[in-house]
Amino acid sequence: MQRILRKRIFRDLKENIFRYLALGFLIILGMYIVISLVGAADSIIEGTKDAAEANHVEDGQFQVFVPLSEEEKLSIAKAGVVLEEHFSMDYELPDDSMLRIFSKREKIDFVQADSGNIPEKNGEILLERRYCEEHDISTGDEVMIGDIHFKVSGIGTAPDYESVLRNFSDSTVDSVRFGIGFVTEEDYRLLKERGESISSEEYSYAYLLKGKITQDELQEILQDMEMSSEDIDDEFFQEYWERTGGWMVPLPKVMQCITAGENPRIASAAADKSVDHASGLAAGVIILILFAYIISVFTVHGIEREARMIGTLYAMGVKKNELLRHYLALPVMVTFIAATVGTALGYSSFGVGRQMIQPYGYFSIPSVGVRCEPYLLIYGLVMPPFAAVFTNYLVIRKKLDRPALALIRGEHKKEKAKNRRIRGSFVHVFRIRHILREKRTAFTVFCGMLISLLVVMLSLNCYALCVHIQEENAEDTRFEYMYTYKYPQEKVPEGSEEAYGVTMKKETLGYSFDVTLLGIHEDNPYFDANVNEGKDRVLISSALAQKYNLDTGDTLILWDEENGRYFAFEIDGAVKYSAGFFAFMDIDSMRELMGKNEDYYNIVFSDFELDIDSGRLYSTLSKDEVKKSSSVFVSQMTPMIVTLLAASVLIFAVVMYLMMKVMIDRSAMSISMLKVFGYRKKEIGKLYLNGNLFVVALSAALGIPLSKAVMDRLYPYLVSNIACGLNLTFSWQMYTGIFAGILALYFVINRLLMFRVSKILPAEVLKNRE
Amino acid sequence: MYLKVKNLKKSYGEEGSYIEVLKGIDLSVEKGDMCVIQGSSGSGKSTLLHCIGGLDEIDSGSVLVGGTELGGLSAGKLSDYRRESLGFIFQFYNLVPNLTVKENIQVCEYLADSPLNLEELLETLGLTEHQNKFPSQLSGGQQQRCAIARALVKNPKLLLCDEPTGALDSETSRDILVLLEEVNRKFGTTMLIVTHNNSIKYMVDQVVYLKDGRIKRDYRNEEKVPAARLEDL
Repeated sequence: MQRILRKRIFRDLKENIFRYLALGFLIILGMYIVISLVGAADSIIEGTKDAAEANHVEDGQFQVFVPLSEEEKLSIAKAGVVLEEHFSMDYELPDDSMLRIFSKREKIDFVQADSGNIPEKNGEILLERRYCEEHDISTGDEVMIGDIHFKVSGIGTAPDYESVLRNFSDSTVDSVRFGIGFVTEEDYRLLKERGESISSEEYSYAYLLKGKITQDELQEILQDMEMSSEDIDDEFFQEYWERTGGWMVPLPKVMQCITAGENPRIASAAADKSVDHASGLAAGVIILILFAYIISVFTVHGIEREARMIGTLYAMGVKKNELLRHYLALPVMVTFIAATVGTALGYSSFGVGRQMIQPYGYFSIPSVGVRCEPYLLIYGLVMPPFAAVFTNYLVIRKKLDRPALALIRGEHKKEKAKNRRIRGSFVHVFRIRHILREKRTAFTVFCGMLISLLVVMLSLNCYALCVHIQEENAEDTRFEYMYTYKYPQEKVPEGSEEAYGVTMKKETLGYSFDVTLLGIHEDNPYFDANVNEGKDRVLISSALAQKYNLDTGDTLILWDEENGRYFAFEIDGAVKYSAGFFAFMDIDSMRELMGKNEDYYNIVFSDFELDIDSGRLYSTLSKDEVKKSSSVFVSQMTPMIVTLLAASVLIFAVVMYLMMKVMIDRSAMSISMLKVFGYRKKEIGKLYLNGNLFVVALSAALGIPLSKAVMDRLYPYLVSNIACGLNLTFSWQMYTGIFAGILALYFVINRLLMFRVSKILPAEVLKNRE
Repeated sequence: MYLKVKNLKKSYGEEGSYIEVLKGIDLSVEKGDMCVIQGSSGSGKSTLLHCIGGLDEIDSGSVLVGGTELGGLSAGKLSDYRRESLGFIFQFYNLVPNLTVKENIQVCEYLADSPLNLEELLETLGLTEHQNKFPSQLSGGQQQRCAIARALVKNPKLLLCDEPTGALDSETSRDILVLLEEVNRKFGTTMLIVTHNNSIKYMVDQVVYLKDGRIKRDYRNEEKVPAARLEDL
């Protein structure tokens, strides 16, 4: 019997080819998005992780004022830690860019040559890939470092410089102005002897814990290492040391220790791609629910239409499981074929390949191949047919559970009849009766619209986030320059505003982010923060409030990692500032809280560039860099947004088409009957189609805010690893645009479908009506 | 005796809407006989047919078909019973719209262990030339022929016909009845025909009148008239 019914499957496919093409297109598109976004993210995340492991990426690194003594190195080695000097010197090149030169590595953070070789002999240099791309440098070219000519023997990457940031505090990579290079040990020594570097040598050590010691235990060993201030030949340090009476306390040798997890240069491409990964998977789940829903709507619609025939077959002795298998066959076949095509497209150069281009243009990562992770393949190939089988099994089973007689008679589950009196003109009453009679269909349309709107909202939220970051970061940054001191000057530079900042940590959704506790004066011109006196009172930036879902009256708890203690503050309010996570407090109260002098400061803000020696500074942040950092964030997100947005609009249009087809199909017989009675096209439109418009408009009016609310709740989890505020608000124009778009789509689809209905001959309707 | 119904009762609804449709039916039909069940609308004739066909549960009493007691059978067993023993013909043909005539018949052919010869059946029912047409390409009479062929192909022992000519014109009705008569003669199929049509009683072996859920008359027709000679159809 199945063999005979199978013939029907292909005829059904042929008869409803547009419906199945639309459904297939929806699945192909959905799988394409999921596979391309998640597949590219997986390829980058896993590929860079494997490459980093193969290249012995460090567990962490620390900077010291002066190199470690042999005894100190020995004490660390005895603890089981593998240590390697990663000393470096910065050189300015004729084109004003800067190259940081390292000696090639032997134990940790191996350099991987993408082309050419790692320097084997003197006079050779390997340069970082992104720098070479920006400066059009190829292997075999020559570069001059200091006063020595080097031949570029290779171009490659290092796992500790995936984000080629000059300083840890830099917010964006600028490969035009900064890069790194590796030379032989002998050449490094030669460069050092020549003394042409623009700053003194940086003493950094990378380490591998090898599982024999914990990070905390190593910290303790490092903290015990002390030195005399005389060993340091930094004039700014000496000046600061003398002025602040630093000689009264022992001087630690280690300036800074940072683990690989905290290092913004390491695994940054993977961190960036994890947003795509999360968004892709979220979109995938929604799309899966969406088409499972649509298929079940079609199947139910089909079974209801064929109820009499099914009942007759039942009466003849055909069993439920036989019919169940029959009704499952087509959806499973369509979903499987579409899912296979979608998965193949997703893994093609149009999918994963396209999504992988962007990170190569920003991060310094080695070439990684496209990964076919088993879970994603299963997701792409198995989940769609499985979802079709599962949902259809449930709905078909329920439908086929009805007795044969009920099916033959075409009985529906009857609701308790309510005798609603509707007043008004005939047309008005007819429309309302039609909507009430078809309320199940209306609910179906609403659900389909709601689910597909979720995909639209996902992409629009990504878009809104980027737009807000780009606009507000520039708007909220009122200073032109922000200088963070290593060794503050005695007096605050003229024309600048002093502040006192301490970086602390706060965790949310499994990720820990830096939050700056910033002591400022009440009348400071750079933040709208009228801070109140008090050691436990803060105002928070809007970005912090959004990210951590904090409000006035809440308690803000911050972790001071350096001193190993928690601070708790009462939040007095939120200040509009989107460019960072800040808690503002009165500077005098903060000085008192932290035990600092009454004139202590370590940050200054100004409207113009200040003449401060770079040796005194940790970092300089300009408004231009804030803007650039925002635009980099946006440009990194753009491919995903474009893909999601385009796909979501297409998906929405297809879903609307399919849903409206169900609506109009259900009305088609009645519409044709009205034609038999002599109604004109316009009159039929008034009776039926305006009612459908009402259903679509009402569904949109409810679905838009509801889907937005759902996605706003979900979205923080998708960008949980991104340190930015979450302003996801839409303008009223955007809401109006979505609503108008839905109505416009309705009219287009309606026209297409009605064209088909109008072609049905009244005689044919009568013949088929039985 | 192939069919034996004893004190069959069937009701629908609860309390306010309670209605007792069959109020104790006793009926016997010989193997190979054609039996017509007549009665006005709401007399319970279709309900009786559905109870005999295992499509509706019985409240009390007994329905014995070919030695099988239907009362208390599970849904699965009832399905097996219909599969093995029954053929159904309805007023509306309920054909699978996107299967051809031949394929519609084949759907049921596959249910039987020893089906009738399909080609022969098509020939008997005058469907050979239409076998590759879809239902929408057929007239009402041709569609009903197809429905009859579908019911017969399993070679059922009992054929239940619910208003088989209800949707047909007089000439086509006659054709269909002639066909049923021929099938009965050729295959020895026991037939139960529910109809409003008063003329059909002249062609069958047994006539049963139902009124208000009870059998008013049940008699054997000793002077059968061939279907081809029936008038006022």
